Amino acid sequence: MYLRIRGLFLDDRTSGPVGSSSIEVTDVEHETTSGKACILDTEEATNRVYRLQDEVTLLRASLDGETAAWGEVVTRYKDAVFGLCLGFLRNRADAEDIAQDAFVRAYLNLRRYNLEKKFSTWLFTIAANLCRNRLRYRRNHPVVEPPDSMPGGGDPAAAIAREDRRAKVKAALSRLPYSYRAPLILRFYNDLSYRDIGDILGIPEGTVKTRIHRGKAMLKDLMEQGSDA
Amino acid sequence: MMTNHDLDDVLRDVLRHEVAQELPRLSALEERVVEELGERVPHRGFVGHLRQMLAPTRGGRISQLAIVGATAAAFLVLGFFLSDRSLPLVDPSISSSGLATTSNQDVLFVVPAPDADSVAVVGDFSNWEAVPLTDDNEDGIWTASIPLTPGRYEYAFLIDGLWRGQDLLADEHVENYGQFTSVRYVSGGDGA
Repeated sequence: MYLRIRGLFLDDRTSGPVGSSSIEVTDVEHETTSGKACILDTEEATNRVYRLQDEVTLLRASLDGETAAWGEVVTRYKDAVFGLCLGFLRNRADAEDIAQDAFVRAYLNLRRYNLEKKFSTWLFTIAANLCRNRLRYRRNHPVVEPPDSMPGGGDPAAAIAREDRRAKVKAALSRLPYSYRAPLILRFYNDLSYRDIGDILGIPEGTVKTRIHRGKAMLKDLMEQGSDA
Repeated sequence: MMTNHDLDDVLRDVLRHEVAQELPRLSALEERVVEELGERVPHRGFVGHLRQMLAPTRGGRISQLAIVGATAAAFLVLGFFLSDRSLPLVDPSISSSGLATTSNQDVLFVVPAPDADSVAVVGDFSNWEAVPLTDDNEDGIWTASIPLTPGRYEYAFLIDGLWRGQDLLADEHVENYGQFTSVRYVSGGDGA
């Protein structure tokens, strides 16, 4: 017996594969009446209950100091936040650090989050600002990211060609200025509206549109330069 | 030639693919976040602060205090040379804990910076956007009063655009990625 719940936004304010992944959970009530419940320890049982809660309930429980509820919030948003950080920072280790830091800081500042507003936008704003701080730090303390591992020799030619194109796009993204890269990531990874992107980056909606348009043109140029080289 | 629409699809594919490749990194993120929260939930009171200062994993706290102390002494001397007015450090509106609050939870940020052209404070309360400090009487003491609800706040000053993370009036200083930020705890009581 299964219950399907929306993984993220129960009010459907956001859509898209990243923002609204659904999570399948077993029905807790069903399990507790079966013999299986006996092998669940309290912590696991608590986590299962949280998996069924809506977002506002989770945030309220988190505010009351229930870190397990916050763990569930992390589960729901970690792909979106990590993807944002990886897109912004173009460095895997930094993205992992900042994603963790974003969730820690969001929890510590949760009492200042207004439940009337969209939680994802608030969380992404924290992550985006931490990314900007890290990029500023990286300007003075650069690191070299090891190149992506290439596909194995047994891969068919089509897969190699696709990997090659991906590598080109990634290289071009890394060279694109941050002010153009950030809106592109929020648009094409996080599937956000122009308005939400503007809120997160602190720029007007019109500027978001312009930067996405120009960012794509610049990205194309950079990819062509890359293939000439 | 790639069309704009193709580029959209390519971007989506690349961004999702690169995240999918890194998913193993995220497998224990929940545990790590909860563990870090266990360490970082505010230790209030003298014993908590002392324990934090002496904790071996937080090495450098003593030396941080030494740096803060030396900086404080330097500014005091500088302040006496530059002005015969009383320093804001002894302003009666500032409580002995170093946290300057009024009854409506306006938190006062004070920076002595006589040579600066601009001073701002950035913090989690402003989503790290700069909030300018002012020095209307041009005595080199820059101030801003920001209304804050009770809680823990991390912040730093930007003096002529340069990061200064160690506020003399902070409750504590934390080091993140090699740079300091200051922390204040705003209490919910009478603001004293």
